[in-house]
Amino acid sequence: MRVYQVPQHAFLLLVGGALLAAAPHLLLGPPWLRILLPLLLLARVLIQRGRLAMPGRMVRVVLLAGVVLGTLYTHGTVLGPEAGTCLLIAAFGLKTLEMFRLRDAYVLLVLGYFVLATTFLFYQSPLAALYVFVVMVLLTASLVGINRPETGARSRTHLRLASVMLLQALPLMVLLFVLVPRIAPLWALEFQSEGARTGMSDSMAPGEVSRLTESTELAFRVEFEGAVPSPAERYWRGMTYSLFDGRRWSQASPGGLPRPDLVIFPGQGTAPWHEQLQAQHAAMADTDAAPVYRYRVVQEASRRPWLYTLAVPFVRGPARGIGQVRDFRLVKEGDIEQRFAYSVESYPLLTAAVGLPDWERDFNLALPELGNPRSRQLAQRLFDAEGGDVEAYALRVLAHFRQEPFYYTLEPPLLGGNTVDEFLFDTRRGFCEHYASAFAFMMRAAGVPARIVAGYQGGELNPVGNHLRVHQYHAHAWAEIWIDGQGWVEFDPTGAVAPERIERGMDRFLGREMGALQNLLSGAAFSRNPLLARLRNSIDYLQFSWQKWVLGYDESSQMAFLERWLKDVSPLRIGLVLLIGTVAILLPVALWVLLRRRGPPRSPLQREYRALRKQLLRSNIAVSEGLPPRAVSETVARACPAAADAIRAWVSQYEQAAYAEHADAQALQRLRRLRRALRWRLRRSALSG
Amino acid sequence: MQKLHDALERVGKVVLGKDEQIRLAVACMLARGHLLIEDLPGMGKTTLAHALSRIFSLDYQRVQFTSDMLPADILGVSVFDPDSRRFELRKGPVFTQLLLADEINRATPKTQSALLEAMEERQVTQDGESRPLPQPFFVVATQNPLDQGGTFPLPESQLDRFLMRISLGYPAPEAEMSLLRAGDLRERALDMSPALTVAELMALMAEVEQVHASEDLLDYLQRLLEHSRGCGWFTAGLSPRAGLGVLRAARAWALLDKRKYVIPEDIQAVLKPVCEHRLQSASGGTAGGAASRLLEAVPVVR
Amino acid sequence: MATAGMRSLYRRWLDRRMPAARQQQLTQRRIFILPTGYGVFFMVIAGSLFLGGINYENNLIMALSFLMTSLFMIAILHTFRNLSGLVLRAGRMAPGFAGTDGALELVLHAGDQQAHTGLWLAYPGAAPEEVSVSPGEEKNVWLSVPLRRRGYNRAGRVRIESRYPLGLLRAWSLLDMDQACLGWPRPLASEECPAGGGEQLQGQYAGRQRGSDDFQGLRSYQEGDSPRQVDWKAYAAGRGLHSKHFADPAEGWLWLDWSLLPAMDTETRLGRLAWWVLALEQRQQRYGLRLPGTELPPALGADQRRRALDMLGLYGENIQGGEH
Repeated sequence: MRVYQVPQHAFLLLVGGALLAAAPHLLLGPPWLRILLPLLLLARVLIQRGRLAMPGRMVRVVLLAGVVLGTLYTHGTVLGPEAGTCLLIAAFGLKTLEMFRLRDAYVLLVLGYFVLATTFLFYQSPLAALYVFVVMVLLTASLVGINRPETGARSRTHLRLASVMLLQALPLMVLLFVLVPRIAPLWALEFQSEGARTGMSDSMAPGEVSRLTESTELAFRVEFEGAVPSPAERYWRGMTYSLFDGRRWSQASPGGLPRPDLVIFPGQGTAPWHEQLQAQHAAMADTDAAPVYRYRVVQEASRRPWLYTLAVPFVRGPARGIGQVRDFRLVKEGDIEQRFAYSVESYPLLTAAVGLPDWERDFNLALPELGNPRSRQLAQRLFDAEGGDVEAYALRVLAHFRQEPFYYTLEPPLLGGNTVDEFLFDTRRGFCEHYASAFAFMMRAAGVPARIVAGYQGGELNPVGNHLRVHQYHAHAWAEIWIDGQGWVEFDPTGAVAPERIERGMDRFLGREMGALQNLLSGAAFSRNPLLARLRNSIDYLQFSWQKWVLGYDESSQMAFLERWLKDVSPLRIGLVLLIGTVAILLPVALWVLLRRRGPPRSPLQREYRALRKQLLRSNIAVSEGLPPRAVSETVARACPAAADAIRAWVSQYEQAAYAEHADAQALQRLRRLRRALRWRLRRSALSG
Repeated sequence: MQKLHDALERVGKVVLGKDEQIRLAVACMLARGHLLIEDLPGMGKTTLAHALSRIFSLDYQRVQFTSDMLPADILGVSVFDPDSRRFELRKGPVFTQLLLADEINRATPKTQSALLEAMEERQVTQDGESRPLPQPFFVVATQNPLDQGGTFPLPESQLDRFLMRISLGYPAPEAEMSLLRAGDLRERALDMSPALTVAELMALMAEVEQVHASEDLLDYLQRLLEHSRGCGWFTAGLSPRAGLGVLRAARAWALLDKRKYVIPEDIQAVLKPVCEHRLQSASGGTAGGAASRLLEAVPVVR
Repeated sequence: MATAGMRSLYRRWLDRRMPAARQQQLTQRRIFILPTGYGVFFMVIAGSLFLGGINYENNLIMALSFLMTSLFMIAILHTFRNLSGLVLRAGRMAPGFAGTDGALELVLHAGDQQAHTGLWLAYPGAAPEEVSVSPGEEKNVWLSVPLRRRGYNRAGRVRIESRYPLGLLRAWSLLDMDQACLGWPRPLASEECPAGGGEQLQGQYAGRQRGSDDFQGLRSYQEGDSPRQVDWKAYAAGRGLHSKHFADPAEGWLWLDWSLLPAMDTETRLGRLAWWVLALEQRQQRYGLRLPGTELPPALGADQRRRALDMLGLYGENIQGGEH
């Protein structure tokens, strides 16, 4: 079979583009793919050079079968994004051996675009986007190359044209990106990216949160509209634990309770508590004076459904896939498998909005029948001492932590059976979960409804973007108790023991506690060098903006954005703006492309000549462009005898400058002077005439 | 230089009222070009050629072309000399400094091309032996535009060998009056005394090549050439050779104006005689007025 | 029936929109543009990436699909530009025998700032030619044209097409360059040579045709020296052409004569004459040609062959567009 010869000037671009398009997948994919693809491309190079024959049909069929088997072996399936891309890459490589006609080269290149797009399933950083753009230039340049059959062409011109075209396409792409309506996924896709679950889990035993603090990984970033709350107010609630089995606190609900009593997802009906909450929210939103925080969170993939918000959160904009939970939290429907952005407003004063029905009161009072007797006694004693005043009692317990020799440490000793008793009376060294757990136990023991809240506390302010970075080491646990008339009130016993942990932030605290290596990782070392700190903050800001505006530009941010600019958002309006925008962007490009008959380059002397002609035109002396200078001067002299000498002087000077062998450097200035003199003459004669 | 102007003036006294054409003819000579005069008989073509040869003290030969003329009639013949028993070249009339080729279109293409080859190469090759023509060497050819019967019009490629084509035309009324009063001026042309020696003429020709042509001027010329190719008025635009011809002629014209550099006026003055015989109108026929159309269309300064 | 009607409607519309001219510039009015199959494929891929982006809620994949869409739109402009501004001029023609292909020359001229790359030109029914024109350059292409009949064949509309730069779109124009190509009569072999001997053996041409470089300088030759007489009668009686008389080209000539052919239709007569022109040319036999109303003086060589065939081709034609 005759092999289609890719033009030599396009071949390198084609092979390079194919290799680079597949390269990110080669890093991730199975080892056999890593070897196969370069081999296939090498074979293609050899075929092009005539060193190797095009493989026959049998060879290709065997190769294809091998690829399918390999994929099955590696992924256990040929479906799904990972196995699918693996298969796609391999097929892409095989296609290079099948270029019999120009059409096959086309198909290969379009497959290349497709392969390139799948890069984004695994990499989403700005650098990845830049990489994809560069490879796109290469693929487009190959496309230019195969459309240019003559052999004399140069790869460099293809590259230049492709770059120009892609750069011209960028503004239009941005317009489409901003305006094309985001619609809901058409069918559900399970995308399981690999990686461990991070952050909090749905239960907590002593020593588990402190393990998290060893990680410097980013949990989420938050950007506030308006002032950023002070460090002591930054309690990011992720989940509540109401069930205590004597050692472990877990997230649970009373058996037999219907789901809508706990969580409501949009479009899935409603429940009385939810309506009540919504009504109070609406009432609160109408009073301008009510304290409120408005912010946007961009959360890293955690493979868990919990979203992190300040107390009493409400989703802003379309809340697709985000549920409102009875205990003032938000959860996502399904786990967060990739970076997820959401906009929230929090009303701290709505903590009593839902009320406390009997079943919930009972649930938040439940303690195991036995265990921790000393703590129960202490609780009863202190409660009685405060005369049954719940708030005073809670403060008394905090004072107990403060006054007795309790220590806040990252490395607490291990506890035995009666965890609360051992901690409260024997070891007295613990991390936040010890304190929160002990506090909640004491409350319940005294008959005060209480629960543990887990999430993050604090956050590091990036002054460049004025946003907070919350890391895993900000993980925290604290408690909430029900006070009639106030609702659920937050109490953080850790603050009683180590107030600087709350007020100055975990970062400073860790700086003291952690070893040098973690110190470095946490960025504490950076913060000491102002230049490095600024650099780090700028990079962080760039990443955050990228996440917020590019990766996290979803239906709600689109709506918010469009409402800001279009006021009334209707499909017609969006369509109209899209149309006008497209025309507005394409028109300059069209003019540039179609009317690029650039004027001839002119020297200063030639511009001076143009200036003279313009001046003559203003004086209504028409001079044909084809007239040589001397004829011009005679025409002017006839039209305006008063200016005869002036124009002759100018023309003779011009002739010297433009045509004589030794033009002098001052000629241009002299010409300008002479032209001014001429203008004066022309004007005077126009006035007198 | 002054002598050159004396010469022009004196030729003007013999060829009356044709100062422009005389000037062009002299410029053509100074630019080492050959001249084609297209005119009806009796317009003074011969007189002009004659006067030019006298005034520059050049050897002069006149050949009347006919259809039975063979190349040998122009170039010369190899004859067998019985005494020396060798072939010897009997030089033809082409071995002269100024050759007047009268009614060149009457000769057959073969004879024409023999002459034109000699013009181009400035040497004659016969029996494998090249003999250079004298220095300087000019051909002034004439042809009768109306004379169609039994003629062989010069093909385009041959016309290209002539630097200029001019026509004298009827004299102006006053000039004609003086002509009538003076009688036949041909006699007077024969009696003219030389104004320049051959050496002086050669020096002037060397000087022409030193005339400066600036970038701006070359740009103008280049745009003229380009326009002739792109405008679609002609079957083919001006060749690079034509461009070089214009430049040489313009240099000579500038020198006649006592200038050491070329200005656009020089180009404009020589464009018509240098270019029009090289262009053919796309709509068929000759390209009359081609030069002025080009000059109107192309700006002198960008 | 309906398609034929549509086609003639389309043709009339084309004629109104783009009338025939021997020089034309490709302007907005004259260029059509549509996506190629490959362009459609490209957009399908972009669309499926859009769906993928939606489903995986992946903004970057969506952005890439938008970039592909934008690139497609930009490519419309570039493809259009690649044709726009090109000046075409009808050039010479190279006739051929009816039933074979002739060729027509087109001269393409690019503006100062603009290149026209990867252009494919074709007259209907013939294979396309590829050409690229650099800025300010002039290029000529010869396009073959099928010659369906003897005489002038109108070439129809030349299709000039380009997919450069990306192959996603096809821009084309159909221009009537007012060109026609001459078809010579298809040669018809025959035994009898329709020729009569030249009685007039002296003439102006004789001397000239005999001349060759050998004669230079030998004045002894006298113009009008008679060559030996040929036995034309025997030849005309059909005894064949292998007579030794034909060995020396300088010795005589034949007049191929229309009137010597027995009554038969015009095309057959012309075909026979054409065949004999070729035959005599091959035998190096000098010949002239006489048709009713015209005459070609005897000579030999490529020019003579061309002139004779042209004359046969043109017989009975209105002279039009035959500039060459």
